[in-house]
Amino acid sequence: MTSATADVSHQVVDEKPAKVRRSDRARSEVRLGWLLAGPAFLVMVAVTVYPIIQAFFDSLYSYRLTAPADKHFVGLHNYQVVLTDSVWWKAFGVTTFITLVTVLVEVILGFALALVMHRAIKSFRGILRTVILVPYGIITVVSAFAWFYAFDINSGYINHWFDWVPGISPSLNWFAHQGTSLFVIMASEIWKTTPFISLLLLAGLAQVPGDLEEAAQVDGATWWQRMQRVVLPNMKAAIMVAVLFRALDAFRIFDNVFIMTNGANGTTVLSLLAYRTSIGRLEIGLGSAISVLLFLCVIGICFIAIKLFKVDLAAARGER
Amino acid sequence: MNRTGDDVRRRTRLLAVTTAVAVALPLAACASASGPPKLTWYINPDNGGQVEIAKRCTEAANGKYTIATEVLPRDAASQREQLARRLAAKDSSIDIMSLDPPFIPELAEPGFLAPIPDDVATKVTTDVVQGAIDGATWKNKLVTIPFWANTQLLWYRKSVAQQAGLDPSKDPVTWQQLMDAAKKENKYLGVQGAKAESLTVWINALIESAGGQIIKNPEASADDLQLGLESDAGRAAASIMGRIGREGLGGPGLPTADENATLTVFQGDKGSFMVNWPFVWSATQAAVSDGTLPKSLLDDIGWALYPQVDQGQKTRPPYGGINLGIGAFSNHVDLALDAAQCIVTPENQAYYFATNGNPPASTKAYDDPAVKKAFPMADVIRQSLEQAAPRPQTPYYNEVSTGLQETWHPPSSVNPDTTPKRSTDFITAVLRGEALL
Amino acid sequence: MKALSTKMKVWWIVITILVLVWSLLPVLSIFATSFKLPSQLNLGSFWPKTWSTTNYEQIFAGSAKDLFLPALRNSIGISLIATAIAVVLATFAAYAIARLDFPGKRLILTTALGVSIFPVISLVTPLFNLWRNIGLYDTWLGLIIPYLSLTLPISIWTLAAFFRQIPWELEQAAQVDGATTWQAFRKAIVPLAAPGVFTTALIAFFIAWNDFVYGISLTSTSRARPVPAALAFFTGASQFEEPTGAISAAAVVVTVPVVILVLLFQRQIVSGLTQGAVKG
Repeated sequence: MTSATADVSHQVVDEKPAKVRRSDRARSEVRLGWLLAGPAFLVMVAVTVYPIIQAFFDSLYSYRLTAPADKHFVGLHNYQVVLTDSVWWKAFGVTTFITLVTVLVEVILGFALALVMHRAIKSFRGILRTVILVPYGIITVVSAFAWFYAFDINSGYINHWFDWVPGISPSLNWFAHQGTSLFVIMASEIWKTTPFISLLLLAGLAQVPGDLEEAAQVDGATWWQRMQRVVLPNMKAAIMVAVLFRALDAFRIFDNVFIMTNGANGTTVLSLLAYRTSIGRLEIGLGSAISVLLFLCVIGICFIAIKLFKVDLAAARGER
Repeated sequence: MNRTGDDVRRRTRLLAVTTAVAVALPLAACASASGPPKLTWYINPDNGGQVEIAKRCTEAANGKYTIATEVLPRDAASQREQLARRLAAKDSSIDIMSLDPPFIPELAEPGFLAPIPDDVATKVTTDVVQGAIDGATWKNKLVTIPFWANTQLLWYRKSVAQQAGLDPSKDPVTWQQLMDAAKKENKYLGVQGAKAESLTVWINALIESAGGQIIKNPEASADDLQLGLESDAGRAAASIMGRIGREGLGGPGLPTADENATLTVFQGDKGSFMVNWPFVWSATQAAVSDGTLPKSLLDDIGWALYPQVDQGQKTRPPYGGINLGIGAFSNHVDLALDAAQCIVTPENQAYYFATNGNPPASTKAYDDPAVKKAFPMADVIRQSLEQAAPRPQTPYYNEVSTGLQETWHPPSSVNPDTTPKRSTDFITAVLRGEALL
Repeated sequence: MKALSTKMKVWWIVITILVLVWSLLPVLSIFATSFKLPSQLNLGSFWPKTWSTTNYEQIFAGSAKDLFLPALRNSIGISLIATAIAVVLATFAAYAIARLDFPGKRLILTTALGVSIFPVISLVTPLFNLWRNIGLYDTWLGLIIPYLSLTLPISIWTLAAFFRQIPWELEQAAQVDGATTWQAFRKAIVPLAAPGVFTTALIAFFIAWNDFVYGISLTSTSRARPVPAALAFFTGASQFEEPTGAISAAAVVVTVPVVILVLLFQRQIVSGLTQGAVKG
């Protein structure tokens, strides 16, 4: 099979016995296809497309849930309020920063883990994969609490363990400063999601032709040269897809921030801002505007990834 | 896409099956029982006291009704969130709710709370501390039933106070004296500097004690609210908070210190003076009986009225607690009113104080011997409640409070010359819908 | 494979231990915290000074019982149903995608991709408003439906990947024997596909089990509130005391099943995750 999904299906069709009357067969296949896939498709559309349209509609009103009588149409005013407010742009900056740093660290760390799992001798492979999966399976909220309690100035032990590190002492309050709060938030995010990225990269590693690498080794290439010339180019698609997925996931970070700081010390992220506005303040109009803008941001990231960085989802899918 | 009727039918059947699975399970889980009407009481989390009171009142009702409890989140802001959401949905399952006073106007204004008949109002405000009545009132009408009333005291380590030459139990102390004492003795002051409702509690108490108000006309509409932060009182509050923050008098934990963290510092080696609710007394006793803290600590703890801002000017301690609201959309408003009156009897309040550490709103409950035994400072609490100042009562309290937290945090950033103005501008913009929170 | 030198072996042991510590320390940390006495939380030590089950008593029999046990029931029930529905729908869809040729299959895959990256918080406000109006707010169904937006896309991708690897000649053989496409699917393919379906269910369950945003936004009582949301409701001995112990105990209770599942089905989960995302 070649690269894209479409090709796969063509091949499947070609393999069909030629005797069958094609047009009937094809028509019934179309019907069956939609019959089978239709419900899933409809459900997916219903739970996303409808709400986002509704959100756009709501965002055109000034509407506070505890003052339902005051609801009135304001056009794009809510968007103007959001986009001219430094609160939005700060949250945007923090979210982007978290996304960039966590994804970068996760890719490096995940790649290292993938290499370890790929090369590990048999007796270690099972245990390595198992422990790596533990963070993946743990509820994000639970992981947030675990990290929070460990670093908390009162109940934590990190300050005591690492008081030999310059800058860390029992009186360091991690959740009192922007930098240190973000550090813990990002560390817990990285801990929780690196396994996922490393498994994606492991699958990518498996696609690198072993003979090519061996040939390079025979030619006397160093480890670094082999990585650079053989392994990484062959994994480019897998890495790009992993990065895109993780970036979009990191961009909607919410649970850790909500638990650890609830947005104090300049750690407010976009999802938290949306939550605070529509669920906390019950300002449905303003909150919907933020929701719609957040949605547009995600679309934007996808667009950049696909157009600029040429992330080819189809290529990543197919076996080369 | 062309689909025949047959296909559609088959597809529908498939959907129907899955939907049926989805619906059947939860339905089976809540098969209803007939009997006396079940009243649902939304309670704030506590140590089981409200559940016990619900049980007692169910028994006392003799089959007229039963009371079931439903827990709200832990912090006041989320409690409000949950209730406002349900009430905005005209939820008939909310019969009685435990409400934090500052959020009462927001629920009273749109008519989410059932009116309290005059005869009931008279009954439930007799022999009740003034602070609690004020907190239960909106636009001169009693809209909730006072249940318990909380206030902060000044707690101090006798040894430290003595070293510093202060005796708060005899002469009222000022914030100035406390800050100087903490600095001189190299100890930490226990104040709540976390970005949470407790920060607003502190700001409000400081401003009120200095003779000011956060909001001058709390009953006005959002566009017309006048903030009183840019005043001598506002600047006095900012200068106290700023100094504690900048000089590290609250310790490194200050920017994240809530009531519990403050207590931890107070119990430790650096503990000196602390403003906090009476729960600290029962919590410290529990830790002593666990063996975690030495018994001598209890003997070293003293209490007095909340500190003054200006020497000689009467202090206005924080006021908190819980009032009972009756859901306007309840199917059993009359029964809920009955039940609420049962809940707030002085006996139940005394029981609640003695077991859960939450001080009664009823002055009679303070005479209960069990109360005197569990809380030797009961009389100080009662006095503190008489002069306590509620937080601003406005339907926009959430915006005001969050706006304050946004601009007065961390405490080290608070500056009397700039913070009151910045905070006023910010909150005003938020109230007008021109800024995000 | 040539035998490893001792030096290499030592290296592998060191690396394995490092990975072990990194992955398990936070879990161990919350486990240790859950056994601390409430009054001993602030000693700054990793392990409890005295091991106590107070916190577990609180969530299973004490004051937090009415909060935790219904939440546990809700979490299990809602996640299982959402998983089941997603897997059933995804199985049909993935079969169609892997096996049939029809216009729009790319559309379906792209939609799945789009839904899986959708910012959840954007859905919450409109859903909250709609659910209030049609009575789905604070019900199981009111969570199951949005959970499908989390579980369906990954299920479709994972299953489509699994189904591409099934030897479809079997189905053709069945068809030659006179079975219809539908019968061929049911008799020949379902048994082969079962392991993939199981793995998909496992992954989908993890995702539903992990949800927090919908859980806190679309519920308000123990009728439907799932565990992650309920964790924010715990309280200490009084309303101002930190519920650190109770939260940790509850966290351990909901983590244990996950760890067991991971231990039992490590191989399946790894293959499911990698296929769904990379080769899907």
